[in-house]
Amino acid sequence: MLKIGVQTKTVINHENPAEGFEKVKKAGFSCVDFSLNEYLLNKTLYAKQLNTFFDKTGEELQEYFRLFKEYSKKTGIAVHQMHMPYPNYVPEASEELNAYLRDVVAIKSMQLCEYLDCKYIVIHGLKLAKYLGSEEAEWKMTEKFLDFLAPMAKEMGITMCVENIYISTGNHILEGPCCDAVKAAERIDRMNDKYGAEVLGFCFDTGHANLVGIDFERFIMTLGNRLKVLHIHDNDGIADLHQVPFTFTKTRENKPSTDWNGFVNALKAIKFDKVLSFETAPVLDSFPMEMREDALAFIAKIGRYFAEKIEDR
Amino acid sequence: MEIVSSIAGIVLPEFPNQGIGDIKSAGFENVLLDLSVYCSGIKLRSFETKLNPEQVKQDFDKFIKGIQSKNLKVTIALLPYLLRDTKRTDLNELLLRIGKDSIKVLEKMGCKHIIVRPLYIGVPFDKEWEINKAYYLELAKECKKEDTMILLQNQCKDVNGHLVRGVCSDEKIAVKWIDELNKEVRSKRFGFCLDVGICSMCGQNMQDMIVTLGERVKTILISDNNGSAEKALLPFTSRADTENSTDWLSLIRGLRQIKFDGQLVIDCADTARNFSPILRPQLLALSKSIMDYFKWQIEIETSLKKYRSIVLFGAGNMCRNFMKCYGEQYKPLFTCDNNSSIWGTQFCGLEVKNPEALKKLPKDCGVYICNVYYREIEQQLKELGIENIEFFNDEYLSSYYENRLKRRQ
Repeated sequence: MLKIGVQTKTVINHENPAEGFEKVKKAGFSCVDFSLNEYLLNKTLYAKQLNTFFDKTGEELQEYFRLFKEYSKKTGIAVHQMHMPYPNYVPEASEELNAYLRDVVAIKSMQLCEYLDCKYIVIHGLKLAKYLGSEEAEWKMTEKFLDFLAPMAKEMGITMCVENIYISTGNHILEGPCCDAVKAAERIDRMNDKYGAEVLGFCFDTGHANLVGIDFERFIMTLGNRLKVLHIHDNDGIADLHQVPFTFTKTRENKPSTDWNGFVNALKAIKFDKVLSFETAPVLDSFPMEMREDALAFIAKIGRYFAEKIEDR
Repeated sequence: MEIVSSIAGIVLPEFPNQGIGDIKSAGFENVLLDLSVYCSGIKLRSFETKLNPEQVKQDFDKFIKGIQSKNLKVTIALLPYLLRDTKRTDLNELLLRIGKDSIKVLEKMGCKHIIVRPLYIGVPFDKEWEINKAYYLELAKECKKEDTMILLQNQCKDVNGHLVRGVCSDEKIAVKWIDELNKEVRSKRFGFCLDVGICSMCGQNMQDMIVTLGERVKTILISDNNGSAEKALLPFTSRADTENSTDWLSLIRGLRQIKFDGQLVIDCADTARNFSPILRPQLLALSKSIMDYFKWQIEIETSLKKYRSIVLFGAGNMCRNFMKCYGEQYKPLFTCDNNSSIWGTQFCGLEVKNPEALKKLPKDCGVYICNVYYREIEQQLKELGIENIEFFNDEYLSSYYENRLKRRQ
């Protein structure tokens, strides 16, 4: 059966990883998506600030996550994927800050990915189309960033995964980097050919796709086996809420307003064999403490439902 | 570029003359005949009982007379279409029949562009092209005039109330369809109408879409909405917290890139319906001004080409943005500013002068106001005796600096 995963944010805390991993296991997951982005938050970066977390040496970072790794092994919960802190470039910020994000944060993220035996790291494309004038010019900057990391990825056997993300006008969400599957497929193939290794893949985020009306089925089918990582979550089509699939409806018939059938059909068609990973940290925040374990188990159950449909059991 | 107003929400089928008069008085010369005004999706859904062809004919005759009396041209039409949540799957034959009949009438009226939405209700995912190809080719057979064009249009689809990208919303697929259809009929019979409202609801990158579609884009159907509900609102009326809901920057960039010279159609049917008929003339006058503004933005470079030389007024962010995007090709002689403390200094490679220096400009020099206090400065320039006064605007430029200059004290 396809493996089911969940992000570590709000589930496994650094002070007590043993308890967190046990919780994940008990809920029915077999993998985690390591939320490294928790250690350098996007809101800090958008405020053009940094923290000192990544000032630690490589050895210090490994020591910092030693217990995390130990309990991952002990419980058999693999770190299937991890999320690099984002954004990787902050317009209007100083050159020093942006150099730090590339030369320190990105590199140490890759090293941690390798340390945790994780094969996939999710990297956000740079959001620069407004300034540079086009999506193509924006991609060139993202590609430059990926090129910088690609030799390291190849050596470490890691696949960097670009994700469909969004921009906004006010609070209206619009497609951002990597929302064109045809372009993404061509760019992934070109980069992998260039390095002679699978250094680049794709992370499909269901919630982000739903916000900009992307046809799940067509998008996933276009990506095919370039799709390595999933961020499964739901929303109302308006705000990025990261909720449980099947939560939202828009009519009195109460049918889901997110195209989960298209999602399942496409994964089945491309014979997806990676991890059904949920990016649903806010769900646990919204449930009372006493119900969080049940909520987590419910998410895992939805994962098993998807797995059964995809594998046609 | 042709500016067009849709009749939807403005012209009533039973009594069309007031709406037609309002459109004409607002300064429009061309209209889009939205045939759903006469044959709505609700009527189509229950056509057996609700559609009265005789009544439609009578109403339509009144419309034609009204249009002729006001000397308005129907240069484009939109064929009747089904509502997105229509459950009946047996209506595509009816649409074809109505489409064929409509084309005959529209050609007689001198209508050159006919928007035909692709079929999608009751059409399986893997048969979209096959079914639509047959549909469009059948309709093309009815076109007798060489210059009649059938325009495909991007659609959304209804996923249990959530409108997401539908048929022809992927520009690469739309390009393929149009090219294959044109190949079949061995002429440029088919083109594209981009519905901005649908792009906005689906959060699409309009710049990319337009650039990919290129010269196939013949018509832009402009409306605003809140990004989730399908409404045709007056542009700039929907606010998403701190900014416009619709990404006008992306639209204007795309149209500039392809040097768009087709039809720019405004559809603000829902805003018009909201307004009292007493206020509608003023609303339509505003909608005409908005369309003129879009045309001006798209053709912003045309204005720069008018003069042998140019001078800027303002030495701040807008001047800096001008220099970034146009400074090389249209290098100003200098800029000027009311802030006397910066006279004689250099800004973005330009000398900053006292506005009094403008009095000595040659006659064929244009003065571009690069400051948001347009009307105040315009008045100042008029008092200086300047004639060639132009506005520059940096809301929709081809690129931007990542930072803004701090305001000078």
